[in-house]
Amino acid sequence: MKGKNNKILTETGSVALKEKRKFRLSFLGVYAILIYLFLYIPLFVVVMFSFSSTKSTVAFSSFTLHWYVQLFKDTGLMQSLLHSVQVSLIAVLVAIVIGTSGAFFLVRANFPGKRLFMTLSQLPLILPGIIVGIALLIFFINLKVSLSMFTILIGHIAFTTPVIMFQVASRLQRLGRTYEDAARDLGANPIKAFFLVTLPMIKTAIIGGGLLAFAISFDEIIITYFLTGTWTTLPVFIYGMMRFGLSPQVYAISTIILILSFVVIFFMAKFTGTKAEETKR
Amino acid sequence: MSIATKEKLKKSSNTYRERKPRSYIMGIPISIWLFIIVIIPVVFMFIMSFKLKSGYEITNILTFKNYLDFFKKPTYWKILLRSFRMAFTVSITAILASYPLAYFISRKLKKFRNLFYMMIITPLWVSYLIRIIAWRTILGNKGLLNSLLINIGITKEPLEFLLYNQVSVVIALTYIAIPFVFIPLYTSLEKIPDNLINAARDLGANEFNTFISVILPLSAPGLFTGFMLSFIVALGDYIIPQQLGGTGGIMFGNIVWSQFGTASNWPQGSALGFILFFIAAVVLALTQKFGSREGILAE
Repeated sequence: MKGKNNKILTETGSVALKEKRKFRLSFLGVYAILIYLFLYIPLFVVVMFSFSSTKSTVAFSSFTLHWYVQLFKDTGLMQSLLHSVQVSLIAVLVAIVIGTSGAFFLVRANFPGKRLFMTLSQLPLILPGIIVGIALLIFFINLKVSLSMFTILIGHIAFTTPVIMFQVASRLQRLGRTYEDAARDLGANPIKAFFLVTLPMIKTAIIGGGLLAFAISFDEIIITYFLTGTWTTLPVFIYGMMRFGLSPQVYAISTIILILSFVVIFFMAKFTGTKAEETKR
Repeated sequence: MSIATKEKLKKSSNTYRERKPRSYIMGIPISIWLFIIVIIPVVFMFIMSFKLKSGYEITNILTFKNYLDFFKKPTYWKILLRSFRMAFTVSITAILASYPLAYFISRKLKKFRNLFYMMIITPLWVSYLIRIIAWRTILGNKGLLNSLLINIGITKEPLEFLLYNQVSVVIALTYIAIPFVFIPLYTSLEKIPDNLINAARDLGANEFNTFISVILPLSAPGLFTGFMLSFIVALGDYIIPQQLGGTGGIMFGNIVWSQFGTASNWPQGSALGFILFFIAAVVLALTQKFGSREGILAE
């Protein structure tokens, strides 16, 4: 009798505990949903107004694609879009060469001051962009280099290189050199071992890092603004448009960039495989 | 140890030595990059910060005047202090927003963990400008929030204090900072072994106590890193204050920026920039010492 009572007691106890846990979980869940709303509503607002037929941002009026059509007629905008693609593409390709070789250097070579070297090479990415911008501006003006595509490109190579380097370096660190050693033991020369064994294994890190670097570069304005003369990139051009207030065209171009970036990030996540994926419990 | 393995070891150490030069060749491009694109420009900026500007000319006379002016002119250090305060607020707000979220995704969520993780960090890599545009649209005088408030009947006139002040700047900066805080927090939270938490529960701790005495201390390095990263991001920004801050929401970055634009005093701007550089370096050094290794860079 006593035992039975106890059993019932513990059973009701565990039910209560479960209920309690469910409640906590849902409280956290609601909180999470609110944060997601905070993150995504602003982006949704931009997309929404790009399809709104009036210039008012008080409420959505009727649906139109007018502003998108207008975009393609704007030669200045199209020009700067082309410029942005050029700069980001070249910057990423250069950064892949410098970053990947740099990753090998940092992971494989030992030399005094390695820690300092690593810290310094992170600076262009983790320092406030304004510092990188003014340092490069002063550098160029002192050397009498006039502001052009070249100066913007150098600015972009400054921050895309660490992006790729640290993606590749962490992959190399994780792989170790066992596979490469095996290839060497089986008679492959260093070059062969690199191209047949190591490169295929770090390929996804390079592509993922490259896509990420492209997304950052395509969107960058803080550094770029200091290095821009008359040759403008898309963000600088949009920034100029914003001075005259926000027009539906700004929303339309923003929407296009947003969609493109999400596609790029999606592929980047596919290639690098994020932490969350690796630690499935 | 047999002679054969000894031989093998010797051989393998030989191959390592043989490889060394190749690693150093790999270091050439990155060294050139580091030297020309990072170190020399910063040195140029450092030298510029000691130059004397007289009239419209930047002379070659070296002086401490630009640094002394920072302490003499209250506008400079007062705005720096205000920027500190704002960046601090941003970091705290971003932590309050991110911690429960990171905890939820890393420890409570069973499915789609990867998707929800990516949904937080994706805004980090896209659309800095677009997010500013969005907040101007929402907070503006004829913006979405105002029209909503009027429609509901909370207010009759549009609220003007929503845009062009410190609050709007802090909101937009927090929006930018959340992923920076979330990533290191998430990484440190997910690394906590389940065993530890089960042990705490078995020893009678309830969920709250487990959180306070096990989870929170173990996630402290991530918390610290997140705080510092978001602090730097907020402190150095000049575009968000320019777009959303009005005159009352100006930050230190705007002061630096104006020296290269309207004020056109490059030596002064370099000195102010170097003060910002120094602050950022201290913050980053502290992060390396007390924070977690995982920042925004690791794969």
